[in-house]
Amino acid sequence: MAGISPTDSSPATGPALAMTGGAEPVPEANRRPADLQLATGIVLIIGSVLLPAVLGNPYWTHNFTIVSLFITVAVLQNLLLSDAGQVSFGQGAVFGAGAYITGIVSGLWGYPLAVGFLSGIATSVVMGLLFAAPALRVQGFYLGFVTLSAALVFPEMLVAFSDITNGINGIALPVPALKEDVFGSLNWIAILAMALACLSLVFHAWFRTTALGRKMRVAAVSPEAALTLGTSPGQLRFIAFTIAAIGTGVAGALYAASIEFVSPYAFKVDLSIFFFFSVIVGGSGRLIGPVVGTAILYLVPNALLADLASYRLLAYGAVALIIMLVFPDGVVGTLQRALRRYRARSGMAGIDFKTVLVESAAVSRDAETSIGITIRKARKAYGKMVALNDVDVEIAPGEVHAIVGPNGSGKTTLLNVISGLARLDQGEIIIGDADATRKSAYLAARLGLGRTFQTPRVFDDISIWDNLQIGADASISGRSSWLLQSLEKYRPRWSRELPDSLPHAQRRLLEVLRALAMDSRILLLDEPAAGLSSEERHDLAGLMRMARDKMGRTVVLIEHDLGLVWQVADRITVLDAGEIVTSGLPREILADPRVRNLFAGAPPEGAANA
Amino acid sequence: MEELTIIAVRGLGLGAVFSLVAMSLNAVHRASGIFNFAQGSMLVLGGIIAALYMPNVPDPYRWALFLPVAAIALALVMTVQGYITLLPLRSSVEQHSWLVSTLAVSVLISAVILLLRGNSQILTTSQFPSFPVFGTRTPAPYIMVIVLAFIWYAALRWFHSRTLTGLSISAVAQDLDAARAAGLRVRKLQMLAFGISGLIIGSAGFTAAPILAIANDSGLAYVTNGFVAAVVGGIGSDTGALIGGALVGVLSMYTAFAYGGEFQNAVTLGLLVLVLMIKPEGLFGTPAARKV
Repeated sequence: MAGISPTDSSPATGPALAMTGGAEPVPEANRRPADLQLATGIVLIIGSVLLPAVLGNPYWTHNFTIVSLFITVAVLQNLLLSDAGQVSFGQGAVFGAGAYITGIVSGLWGYPLAVGFLSGIATSVVMGLLFAAPALRVQGFYLGFVTLSAALVFPEMLVAFSDITNGINGIALPVPALKEDVFGSLNWIAILAMALACLSLVFHAWFRTTALGRKMRVAAVSPEAALTLGTSPGQLRFIAFTIAAIGTGVAGALYAASIEFVSPYAFKVDLSIFFFFSVIVGGSGRLIGPVVGTAILYLVPNALLADLASYRLLAYGAVALIIMLVFPDGVVGTLQRALRRYRARSGMAGIDFKTVLVESAAVSRDAETSIGITIRKARKAYGKMVALNDVDVEIAPGEVHAIVGPNGSGKTTLLNVISGLARLDQGEIIIGDADATRKSAYLAARLGLGRTFQTPRVFDDISIWDNLQIGADASISGRSSWLLQSLEKYRPRWSRELPDSLPHAQRRLLEVLRALAMDSRILLLDEPAAGLSSEERHDLAGLMRMARDKMGRTVVLIEHDLGLVWQVADRITVLDAGEIVTSGLPREILADPRVRNLFAGAPPEGAANA
Repeated sequence: MEELTIIAVRGLGLGAVFSLVAMSLNAVHRASGIFNFAQGSMLVLGGIIAALYMPNVPDPYRWALFLPVAAIALALVMTVQGYITLLPLRSSVEQHSWLVSTLAVSVLISAVILLLRGNSQILTTSQFPSFPVFGTRTPAPYIMVIVLAFIWYAALRWFHSRTLTGLSISAVAQDLDAARAAGLRVRKLQMLAFGISGLIIGSAGFTAAPILAIANDSGLAYVTNGFVAAVVGGIGSDTGALIGGALVGVLSMYTAFAYGGEFQNAVTLGLLVLVLMIKPEGLFGTPAARKV
């Protein structure tokens, strides 16, 4: 019995519930949506197994035991799909591997059940890692096809290697001890299945509050943004597939014991599709989605169409198609959205620019030594298009350095090579005193770079607070973020609200704040003023000055709005067609006739006092 | 020697089926970024039309009459599918939506076939006599489907480089926003691409019916094999699809002869993983396919 404890799927058990994000405790109210879903899910799972058990109905006890196991797989599929962004149409094969190896080891070879279970789970993990390997190279539909093929091949292999698997005859796995009724028609298998399903839900809820969970969600939405936050998407994918495989393997092993028989027909590709559709129908990304989805997809055909088994597939396909067309957020997602819309009328989320500025600045802290960037003889070409040609730039520590130039002059390319998203063909980049020329983006981020993108990479599925927390997670200093501490009083509210309700300017600010929360010593801002009103631009200029003066940050700014540039820049570099036109103090630049040609039009207001 | 000829000829014939699936996948993908997981089911539907309407006593004229019927029928089915698939999409990057809806259509078609015809294989009589190729009697459909693959290859090439509509689809493929800004009716072109894909897959299923495994659950195997052909050749390249299909077909046929039919899909899966790990852009594709 010792070996079959379902806790294998999660390092955190009971206490996980009480634990919340990061190190500091969070007021109870903040976690309400997740807690509510978690509680509802657990009540549904336990209730569905216990009720028929108390009534002494073995048929439904058994059915809901199976549903609990399927829910476990679906919850992990949900984690894989929405938290890690990995499309796997092959979780049925991972599940089947766990079940079959348990059957072979204990049913055919006669080893104790504990040994069978462990072998089954181990095999599932191997299977999961096999899926993860192509995920390092390809994503999306590629991965969908690979995993779908694997799901097709799996039962074929069970038949092909009939010497080991007993082929189409299947394997009997009698487990009388576990099948004995403990109470009513409740047996140990049912208890374990129920516990496993609840545990997987608790684990998923807890996982989302961890730094790892947040990083994974960032990487799923934007691998690029994840890289600039100092994490490697590949590692995260591996971890996600492994987590999913462990839990799915436990469920598979229990499934074999629950049915007391395994055969290739039980693990056809349909099963994998069933798991995937369960997540979609319930609402992908919603904690309780897989519970609802599995219940609908399993129970509707089995209860309502019990006599018409051949209609089952038709029901899966039709339900999935209709949900996708009419309620793309799934059942739970649609309900949630309706609820949020109702609540949204009571008050709009927002970040008060000025208050945030004043409060953050009020926190005094030890000024750190600023670092600068030196770029020498940088050359980067895309095919025949030379984006950077022999570029030398010296960005001094603690200055606001603006890079200006017409469209296509190589500004963003320059930012990309500095942050490691693109690699130089020739030349070198020194950040602080470290050579960053060959560093990948996430290593460059660890040298102290934080950046924003032209279109703000804000993550709409996670709360405003967690969006900031992502930055703090990536902090290179390893200390808790002073910025987040200074904003602590907004935490309750920001933890409940999603950034999709924020207007454009505030999304941008959120991204800048996130880069600041990283405690990065250099800020790379790619057209931060685009789409901002003049008042908002003024606030943004204030924020940059504050970053420089109060926090000792070096700011590299790419900007089309020359007004803003004159306001804040200590030094300006002008790029055109991949080459440096000139670089110097603002008033030198203003006097340069070559620059005037590039920017047709009068010098902007306020240039005189620059 | 005879065995080798059989493997080569039948492998190329089977490969031509995969090439046709790959080309029809490309046709939709080019215009919309969508990969239709139901494409294998569409092939099976084309085959079922042949099974239903082709007599047991060969009648080539009837065959010639029904070939366009099958092609047009599938074009209609796929245009409807295209409409449904594109409905909730604002842009083609919303992968989850179409992954699910095309897979759901595949499941639905399988379910309907299961309900109407059960789970046994549906057989079709070849309407043409088999003839000797290098001394081996070869059923005519193996050769006919190879010819069909070349015909569609040439037709698609002409369409995409010589007709205004074809050029418009190429424009959509290259830059969706620019095409929209240039006043192209993107949604209509995308539905047209679904229709063209239906013409290809309908004629392919109908022609190859006697040599296909037509059953409720064989669609997914055909679409994954077709996808492997497309990946090996390079996604989006019809030349690649022709060559990739031939490679996958011969490899698959060899596997069946040497180790048994149950290993066919396993070997193509191995090939798929290998190509994706080593050269994800395939033989004729552009390296842009891979991101991060």
